[in-house]
Amino acid sequence: MTQASTATVTAEESKWDGGQSPFKVSYGKVMIWFFLISDALTFGALLVSYGTTRFASNVWPDPNKVFASFPVISNFVDAPLPLAFVSLMTFILILSSVTMVLAVHAGHYGDKKGVIRWMLLTIIGGVCFLACQAWEWTHLYHDGAWWGSFVNAPVDSVLHLFNMDRHGVPEAVTAHPDAFAQSTHDFYNYFFTITGFHGVHVTSGVLLNVMLLVNTVNGTYERRGHYEMVEKVGLYWHFVDLVWVFVFTCFYLL
Amino acid sequence: MSAHQHHEQDHLTLYEGDQSKLYSGIMNHHTDVQSSASKNQVKRIWKITLWLSIITIVEVGIGLAAYAAGAHNSIIIAVFLILTILKAGLIVRVFMHLGDERKNFVAAVLIPMGLFIWMVLAFLSDGAFWLKMNNTQAGTKTELHK
Repeated sequence: MTQASTATVTAEESKWDGGQSPFKVSYGKVMIWFFLISDALTFGALLVSYGTTRFASNVWPDPNKVFASFPVISNFVDAPLPLAFVSLMTFILILSSVTMVLAVHAGHYGDKKGVIRWMLLTIIGGVCFLACQAWEWTHLYHDGAWWGSFVNAPVDSVLHLFNMDRHGVPEAVTAHPDAFAQSTHDFYNYFFTITGFHGVHVTSGVLLNVMLLVNTVNGTYERRGHYEMVEKVGLYWHFVDLVWVFVFTCFYLL
Repeated sequence: MSAHQHHEQDHLTLYEGDQSKLYSGIMNHHTDVQSSASKNQVKRIWKITLWLSIITIVEVGIGLAAYAAGAHNSIIIAVFLILTILKAGLIVRVFMHLGDERKNFVAAVLIPMGLFIWMVLAFLSDGAFWLKMNNTQAGTKTELHK
């Protein structure tokens, strides 16, 4: 038994003795992954905190009623359009993730033109997403929603709640508007903080993508002999998309 | 200039070191972007794109149907969570190429994520408990129906 375990340990040790990467991954790529793990924990903490506050509240704003506008179309259509605009945003981000993975793929083959083409599309996708978010924030701001708003809100501004048609709920809201405004207040604080933090990630991702594009056009990676930087920034960009998948579920679907 | 030509005197080739060339196995020795291996990979990427789109459309469809029916229950929530994790898995495995990495690296990335199991269970149940204590004046009154 002792012998067998010694043999295993020796085999294990050789992989970790140095002189090679035990993961068969370069230092830079290991580090971007470790950064993403820490970033995932940060986003996770924010989302779990949001969930905890929601679990600790008697009522909660109904996202179908809060996010019910679509640019231009809502000027002509009176009916609420829940999920429509955020679906467009989600789709834009998924597509820009696809163009990024295609840029990484072109990089694997040293295809400079391919990297340039797909990076350009990725940047366009990122900018479109940010434009959508800017519109949504502006729209909500003009509805009176912002960090710290809705604390002493009038009753009609807290009617975006779940189960307003249920027996007794409208009367309870009218009787204690402050208590119900509190959940709306919490909801918007979390919404702006978390989508804001995500938006900052998208912004820095776009900046990194622009730097990648400039370096690719200048032939930096071609001279270096590999496009691993595209892969590393690509990992970050996919992570931003991954976080949006969870933000989309937590804020718009649940 | 060929894509894999190295200028040893160029300081740019020294930046990031030779390490990146050694260990990025999946990107070494690929030269022909028109090869069938390359085209298969591109096909796989578009297939995953299709799946991500289908899952999103299903999510939105369920969301709209639930909105129209005025329904909001635990079954719908569970379906949303399963679809979300499925989507996340596809992105991490295919788009982030984690599925192509060595098993020990996959473990190094995924095991810390296990913290979330504790985090979600602990904090959400704490939130629910806090609400119960609030509504019952710390257990001195029976809970009011909402």
